[in-house]
Amino acid sequence: MPDAPAVSVTNLTKTYRSGLVRRESVRALDGVTLSVPPGTIFGLLGPNGAGKSTMVKILLDVVHASSGEAALFGVPSTTPAARERLGYLPEDHEFPGFLTAEQVLHIYGRMAGVSSADRAERIPELLDRVGLAERSGSKVRGFSKGMAQRLGIAQALLNEPDLLFLDEPTDGVDPVGRRDIRDLLLWLRDRGTTVFLNSHLLSEVEKVCSRVAILQDGTVVRQGTTEKLTAVERVYDIVATPIPDETLHELDGRLRRADEPAAEEGLHRYHAQTEDRAGLNGILDRLRSAGVELESVQPLRQTLEDYFIDVVGTTEKPEAAGESEPASPNG
Amino acid sequence: MISFSGILLLTMRELWAKKVVIGLFAVSSLVLISVAFALNLDVVDGSLASVRLFGQSEEAQISLEQLVFAIESVVAGAAYWIGILLALFASAPLFTTLVDEGHIDLLLSKPMARWKLLGGHVAGVWGTMLGLVVYLLGGVWLLMSIKSGVWNPQFLLAIFLVVGLFAVMYGVVVLIGTWTESTALSLIVTYGLIFVSLVLAGVNQITPQLSTGSRAVFYGLYHTLPNFAEVTTIVSSLARGKAVADWYPLVSSLLFGGAAYGIGAWIFQRRDF
Repeated sequence: MPDAPAVSVTNLTKTYRSGLVRRESVRALDGVTLSVPPGTIFGLLGPNGAGKSTMVKILLDVVHASSGEAALFGVPSTTPAARERLGYLPEDHEFPGFLTAEQVLHIYGRMAGVSSADRAERIPELLDRVGLAERSGSKVRGFSKGMAQRLGIAQALLNEPDLLFLDEPTDGVDPVGRRDIRDLLLWLRDRGTTVFLNSHLLSEVEKVCSRVAILQDGTVVRQGTTEKLTAVERVYDIVATPIPDETLHELDGRLRRADEPAAEEGLHRYHAQTEDRAGLNGILDRLRSAGVELESVQPLRQTLEDYFIDVVGTTEKPEAAGESEPASPNG
Repeated sequence: MISFSGILLLTMRELWAKKVVIGLFAVSSLVLISVAFALNLDVVDGSLASVRLFGQSEEAQISLEQLVFAIESVVAGAAYWIGILLALFASAPLFTTLVDEGHIDLLLSKPMARWKLLGGHVAGVWGTMLGLVVYLLGGVWLLMSIKSGVWNPQFLLAIFLVVGLFAVMYGVVVLIGTWTESTALSLIVTYGLIFVSLVLAGVNQITPQLSTGSRAVFYGLYHTLPNFAEVTTIVSSLARGKAVADWYPLVSSLLFGGAAYGIGAWIFQRRDF
């Protein structure tokens, strides 16, 4: 299905049951609906126990859904065919220590259905790309966490997947390695690969993900583009020459000095809060009439981390979260 | 098929990295070397004149055929009891590793059905054990046959019995391992069943002493659980070139193994990892 979303999930629920005598049940997912368009880097966020791992495991058919539907490129995720063009890096993966990096890639590549000829061609390329070319003959048991993580990524890429699931890919990786992984993800996105990222490192997610969803208590509480979600509603960042105090006073609190300095000397940063577009233009007209020169005007953004903390700290569990439903954390 | 061969290969590589398996291979090699070089048979006109073991010569008190059958029987018996117990000890942790978090989810993310994944693993374990048993028993059979001129093709069936009963007991490991993910419990139950089979082997002596109800329970266990100990008699008969009086212990054990794999596969297919 060429037009199908890379990942589509409809009304997905999962209840874990445990205990033989006293049956206990935990609802890990509660009617989750979301969609990931092909060719995007998508971040799934949420506090511990929100249901992120369950969600990924259902998409990989490692865990069976209690109800609802999940599909990868339109193919039900419960069929092996859905996983033919898929790569996966689990959070705590462990490769057999007695194998060399190259042997790991050969065996796991074989399991992914990659032919011998393709493996012979791709393995040296991938080892080079993840910076392990010189360690291809080394046994995995001697690898650091970061090296094992990079080998895991190479393993996930061996079948040239259209969809890549990465669970905490930068865990244990040093800052340089993290940047390499980030560059690799952007390179994959440019090639049309969809990346589904599950990470606690929100700064990393913010740098690469164009779309995110936030799960809380098994429900999607927010989802949409990173740009829209992190934009603070109707608050604008204005960089301009110094604004006279009387003008600021006249604007009656709709314009205030920002805490952060402007990058350029002689310029100041202000934040304008307005009801609508006309209100913003009114402020700008007033500034121009006061002889203020404007350098830039743009919607104010908060970091994804701030947004995330606002959302998980304040959100009541909703009945259902709709598609692309950005909401102001201030509202 | 290529995915299946991947899990098969991984399982074999994992087993060959186990010290117990390497140890079994080394001991098998020592037995073969001993039979090849340390055991010398002086055969005159088709009869055994004398036997020299590690250079010590003994006048033959038994026939050549009896000696060959005795050696083959001892090796087959050792492979059956010691070999299977050690092979289970080596392979049981492998199954728990298979279903470990971080390993099983990576394997299940590959484009193959769960039954193929489990089948590839089981085939890898069986294949490795078959290789080891063929190496030891096949090697001993070939060397003894060449040295003595006494060819006992029936002995080769013992290879399949040893591997078959290992496979039956590994079915218990698969069942308990899938259910509980515990190596210790898998081995306790498996070795426990082997111990129980020693008691069940005395069915003809024990049941007359029991009350009607107890006898029914005993018979129930006898016909349900694997008759591991009784199958030794079949192995011994084959090694000695004798006709097998009763194949029932083998058949019932294989049925038990089939059921263990069937239930294990059913749980493996349905459970969340």
